[in-house]
Amino acid sequence: MNNDQVSSGIWLLMSLIICLASLQYKVGTLSAPGSGFLPLLSGMAIGLFAAIGFIQATLRKKRGEIWHSFLKGLRWEKALIILVSLFAYGWLLGLFGFFLCTLLFIGFLLRVVVPQRWSLVIGGSVLISVVSYILFDVLLKAQLPRGFLGF
Amino acid sequence: MDFLNSALMGFQLVFQPINFMLCFAGVLLGTLIGVLPGLGPIAAMSLLLPVTFNIPPVSAIIVLSGIYYGSMYGGSTTSILVNIPGEATSVITCLDGYQMARQGRAGPALGIAALGSFIAGTLSIVGLMFIGPFLAAGALRFGPPEYFAIMILGMTILTFLSNGPMWKGLLMAAFGLFLSTIGMDNVSGIARLSLNIEELIDGIGLVPVVMGLFGISEVLLNVEGSMERSIFKTKITNLLPNWKDWKASVGPIMRGTILGFFLGILPGAGAIISSFASYAIEKKISKYPEKFGTGVIEGVAGPESANNAASGGAFIPLLSLGIPSNAVTALLLGALIIHGIQPGPLLIKAHPDVFWGTVASMYLGNIMLLVLNLPLIGLWVKVLKVPYPILFPLILLFCLIGAYSLNNSITDVIIMNIFGLIGYFFRKFRYEAAPLVLALVLGPMMENSLRQSLILSAGSPLIFLNRPISSVILIIAFLLLAFPLIPGFNKRRPAFGE
Repeated sequence: MNNDQVSSGIWLLMSLIICLASLQYKVGTLSAPGSGFLPLLSGMAIGLFAAIGFIQATLRKKRGEIWHSFLKGLRWEKALIILVSLFAYGWLLGLFGFFLCTLLFIGFLLRVVVPQRWSLVIGGSVLISVVSYILFDVLLKAQLPRGFLGF
Repeated sequence: MDFLNSALMGFQLVFQPINFMLCFAGVLLGTLIGVLPGLGPIAAMSLLLPVTFNIPPVSAIIVLSGIYYGSMYGGSTTSILVNIPGEATSVITCLDGYQMARQGRAGPALGIAALGSFIAGTLSIVGLMFIGPFLAAGALRFGPPEYFAIMILGMTILTFLSNGPMWKGLLMAAFGLFLSTIGMDNVSGIARLSLNIEELIDGIGLVPVVMGLFGISEVLLNVEGSMERSIFKTKITNLLPNWKDWKASVGPIMRGTILGFFLGILPGAGAIISSFASYAIEKKISKYPEKFGTGVIEGVAGPESANNAASGGAFIPLLSLGIPSNAVTALLLGALIIHGIQPGPLLIKAHPDVFWGTVASMYLGNIMLLVLNLPLIGLWVKVLKVPYPILFPLILLFCLIGAYSLNNSITDVIIMNIFGLIGYFFRKFRYEAAPLVLALVLGPMMENSLRQSLILSAGSPLIFLNRPISSVILIIAFLLLAFPLIPGFNKRRPAFGE
């Protein structure tokens, strides 16, 4: 399988899921389209274009196009760490509140992704948390979550 | 007289202290965003969108527009000094701009980029002033089929110009359309595909999607590669181009302005294509085409003027038809709707303050940019020296705050993160996100136009072909779709990055 075969295969599956989900709603007729009309139409369009892509990719495969790893030679684990920390930030935001959560988030990223000196990690995370709190919560009234610390 | 009164009202609005300050803040921030690789105008505007909720609509559009055209100015600085385009629109400037810097002519390169941008930006606003109201008056005769056809054409052009095979662009547009159907159906009142998540009843927000696809995924890609960049060490002197430079640049600036302006009006085309097209034209008509790429000033003056003129032209379909021509103007459309303003042909009549205030702010903003950019180039160089490992946590934090503060919802943060991951894989598998964003914004309008058209015609799709304007527009869209079927066409098709 080459890259486009894999991705178009995933889209074909996605199209099937979308079409099935759309059928839960009234599709209607051309003169009176229902709620499921456009979702079904877009799902079918995704399927059509994915099928075209799959056929083209299969023809290229026959001409020798192979799978190219998109992670080879890259430090993908750094991207993974960031992604996990982003989801953790979203999960902990309500519990810890904006200030503490941001402090931990920035400190973690500065120390782990490309390790910085501790002085920069602590100073940077405190400074960024304080400045962003004052800017967004106090001055711009963004109503950031408080958490158990009350700020 | 009416025209002059309206223009005067716009200037009165923009010289109010709050609007003046916001215009300044917008263009300054836009230039900074343009200078910094890795944070584009879309992410920056998304971030600031919730902040604008507490200010009047016209002020909000002034600051957001300022970021847009400010970033067009700033993008050239990194292209010239670092050989890394700050924005996709400045990719082509790298070719000759960086070579000029290597030859000790960074000053004239930066100078002509700023001055050319100023001239093009100003002339495109004049065009906007004259064509906008004229087009809006004509568009009053448009019905649902015409609107549907224009939106189809916009998406087709964008997919036609996107990188890689066309099926990928069309697939992205179809996926964007699907995403736009999530949430309450305006006609039946049914919550569609919302998975019983309360926040999804209002639909998937544009801002979290855009920030995820453009902001988060960009950071994820940057951190796994090399995060080092070297700034070419050169003394920046003589920012004002000399007589010889001016003589060589006047033609490219004027041609770039006209080309950029008209390409900017086209839905789906815009700043990127215009900068590439301008470079191609300048090279084609040059007496020394072989020197292009070695540091000729025409290679900087033309594209930089074209991309700025296009950003002005892009406001025409937005403000006069209510149809965005690219992802950035799609975001501006979202901002208008959030502020309770319905974009469309009636906007100029119903909200003259928004139209004329925006036009006047663009004049002022262009002057501010010229005054700012030349003396502040030293500062932008210093900004460029901030190491990426320190910069990226800040970019992520801005995205998180922007997504959360839109509705004070953690669900939006999660949606942004999910789209960050999706965007990462899109880029790995070479799918462009721009058609998705445009379709996501246009989706609800398209659905309404489609349904209204079909109801009007008692279910006959021929309504789109029976009406002359919509049929011509749809035939153009069809031809664009059919072009790739010509053998070997895909190899010659111009493709431009996001």
